[in-house]
Amino acid sequence: MTTAVDIRGVTKIYSPDSNQAVKALDNVSLTINDNEFFTLLGPSGCGKTTLLRLIAGFEQVSGGEIMLFDEEIENLEPNRRPVNTVFQHYALFPHMTIANNVAFGLERLKKPKPEIKATVERVLTLVKMKELGDRRPNQLSGGQQQRVALARALAPSPKVLLLDEPLSALDLKLRQAMREELKQLQRETGITFVFVTHDQEEALAMSDRIAVMSNGEIQQIGKPTDIYEHPVNRFVADFIGDTNFLDGEIVDLNDDLLTCRIGAQSLFETENSGHHKVGDQVTLFLRPEKIMLSVLDQENDSGNRPGKVKNLVYLGNQAAYTVDMGDGIELTAQARPREDGELPFAIGDPIAVSFSARALKVLAQ
Amino acid sequence: MSDWLPKSAAGRRWLGLAPSYFVIGIFMLIPMVIMGVFSFLEPNPYGGVKPIGSLAAYIKIAFEYDLEDKLVFNPGYLNIIFRSFQLSFGATLLCLIFGFPVAYYITLQPENRRNFYIYLVTIPFWTNLLIRTFAWIIILGRGGVIEAPLLATGIIDDSLRMMYSDGAIAIGLTYSYLPLMVLPIYASLEKLDFRLLDAASDLYANRFEIMTKVVIPLSKPGIIAGCILVFIPCLGAFIAPNLLGGGKKLMLGSLVQFQFASARNWPFGGALSMLLLSVVIITLIFYARAAKNRAAMEGSA
Repeated sequence: MTTAVDIRGVTKIYSPDSNQAVKALDNVSLTINDNEFFTLLGPSGCGKTTLLRLIAGFEQVSGGEIMLFDEEIENLEPNRRPVNTVFQHYALFPHMTIANNVAFGLERLKKPKPEIKATVERVLTLVKMKELGDRRPNQLSGGQQQRVALARALAPSPKVLLLDEPLSALDLKLRQAMREELKQLQRETGITFVFVTHDQEEALAMSDRIAVMSNGEIQQIGKPTDIYEHPVNRFVADFIGDTNFLDGEIVDLNDDLLTCRIGAQSLFETENSGHHKVGDQVTLFLRPEKIMLSVLDQENDSGNRPGKVKNLVYLGNQAAYTVDMGDGIELTAQARPREDGELPFAIGDPIAVSFSARALKVLAQ
Repeated sequence: MSDWLPKSAAGRRWLGLAPSYFVIGIFMLIPMVIMGVFSFLEPNPYGGVKPIGSLAAYIKIAFEYDLEDKLVFNPGYLNIIFRSFQLSFGATLLCLIFGFPVAYYITLQPENRRNFYIYLVTIPFWTNLLIRTFAWIIILGRGGVIEAPLLATGIIDDSLRMMYSDGAIAIGLTYSYLPLMVLPIYASLEKLDFRLLDAASDLYANRFEIMTKVVIPLSKPGIIAGCILVFIPCLGAFIAPNLLGGGKKLMLGSLVQFQFASARNWPFGGALSMLLLSVVIITLIFYARAAKNRAAMEGSA
């Protein structure tokens, strides 16, 4: 597998000489493979956009190296780097037509006129904007401007396409539609996409691999399923999806199972990964969708835990329940409405909660 | 609401604007009409006009009566008018060349420092233009600030004769009106979305192309406004031509001033003023057209 972008120990400090120095990136290393949809995911201020701007060349690294297809690029001006950017607010040139916007990069590269014309037509067709080439940016809707920005960045056939939260300004429906289109576009063009977002759903839906960032550091890199199912720390588990956290202590273990005490006396069993010993303080996490809720049946209690519905949030296709388990423990779980559309449980209902030991996982501290 | 107020919204708006209409009418429109009427009368050799209708003032712009009382073409005044345009055009160009980088530089500064620089740009307005133009005599004059050290060190051994030349007038005009170029360009550059510069360089534009393809086209409204704000007063200027041009190299403005003062030919001065006014109006119509076209081209947003 060819490496498209190789980030080696990159550090970025803003205004390093003043007393307001800000460390935006701290010794970040990661490799992005050729033909990969790679996402930098994290909350605002985590350094993901800074990393993108360093690859594009709008900022200079304070330390470390950036290689693009085995070529050092950190000393190159942005106009000498074979990468193109889709900007968050599109940054279309307001004084040019759509076609001229798309042709801009090709003209700077001194491509022959007929080739420019053909390429502009091809990429505008690709993003379904062929009819609007004569318009100006402010005559287009947000979604259309988004497509033009995409076409403009794709036109020069960059080796790597950088996308800086390109969907954040669109409304929900359009955003979901664009997700699929972007993913399809990446597959069709075979260009490496580096996608920056703070939206974990977007990241899970589109990426081949995700790097979760926080405070200028990489927390975890992996496939969407790895990140979701096997988060390496509390930050990642919390940032991706909804999660129940249970803080407790290991009180017993055998070859297969760890037994943890949560609260005063509640015992929970989880798989033994072999990294822990009795007495360790641990955090367990449990995804809400792994929890089964059922009607409490005192007679036939096989491993079910009793609880009481404390709160519920109706979401249409499902409802999120907050269940009071006693002993100071609360769990969030999900349940589907019944076929007649009624919710299975109401606030105050006694309820049975069950989940497998495999669903409950120990987080590294 | 009192009964005497106009009922319609348009009427009320008119009433609200009445004080400004009054001021503009008294101090601008009426003097202009007087000037226009005077230009069609005969001069009184002791100043003022005789109430006799005549087109002589306008004829005098391009013709004169020879010894046999025949009307012959005389390009003297037309040459002065042509020179005025040349010098104003040159000064406008110089203002643009010096003013644009200044405005651009200010735009690139942190916000709190920008206001300070703009304040510096406006400082010359605090002093009378006449005095500031006199300062240029000290700078450019024989043995002045520029010449003295060059003479003393032997780099030159005669005066450069910078004063009383077209160059001196152009420098004086450029100096006088430079802030009027910087301010409107700054105003339009300040609105420039600097992410567009990132986008341009991302799309392989070098620094020169970023300027010519993105920054300059987007600051065109400011550039046009600045050029008009400089060109128009340059055409009518008389302080710089009189002081730095030595009064011999006349410009339209100094010619007008001369007709009202020494030459005592008010109708001719009025006619020249009307000519100047029509040039200004034509320039402004051109500007309004360009602005309208641009608005139509870029949509309503």
